[in-house]
Amino acid sequence: MNGWILAATVELGGGGAAALWGVTTGPTARRVIAQNLTTSAVCPALLLLSQGYGRPAYVDLALLLALLGPVGTLVFARLLSDDLADEGASAWGLTWSAAGLGAVVVLALCVAAGPGRAMVKLLAIGALLIGGNLIASRALAGGFRGVRGG
Amino acid sequence: MSDALIAVTLLLVAACATAAVAQRDPARQALVLSVQGVMLAVLFTVLQAPDVGLSQLAVGSALTPLLIMLCVRKTRRRGRREEDAK
Repeated sequence: MNGWILAATVELGGGGAAALWGVTTGPTARRVIAQNLTTSAVCPALLLLSQGYGRPAYVDLALLLALLGPVGTLVFARLLSDDLADEGASAWGLTWSAAGLGAVVVLALCVAAGPGRAMVKLLAIGALLIGGNLIASRALAGGFRGVRGG
Repeated sequence: MSDALIAVTLLLVAACATAAVAQRDPARQALVLSVQGVMLAVLFTVLQAPDVGLSQLAVGSALTPLLIMLCVRKTRRRGRREEDAK
């Protein structure tokens, strides 16, 4: 087991357990926040795993998760909007620390990968992850309340 | 080589699945289920099956919760309408 896989194990264990605890207890607003943070905990772990196994193709999984995780959260934000409007679901401290974690992991992997196509892909995944996380958090906190339809 | 990683992921998947079954409200079950879908994708990756993980990620993280939430909304609305008619 090398350092990358060890880091992925720690992150997966800590982030996964915290997300599971958050998603199974408390009011609905807290559960949706925890579901949103699952993406930002698991995506860096997948990137670390790809580096640890030495297989750049595994990065595609992290790319897909960075794309689809916020989509899943937006589904909940739209369909549970009545509950969320009552309780208010904003957790900006958590959101920014999760975004910082993703940024740190992506930067470490960029340093390990060196300049080239792999680095551009990693940076794109990092941007997608953090941007999607911020948009999903804003939707949960009611930032897009004016957008109603369907 | 990475037995600890496999053990951690297996434990997370098992705990998520148990928690999803133990919830009472269907909407909350869908939330836990989407977390479980992501964890299952990680388990497939750890077991060196990233292709299966990719399709699990696509289905489990967005599509299944969407279908469940749409069904919940539809049945709730219909239940409310029948109550009004009585």
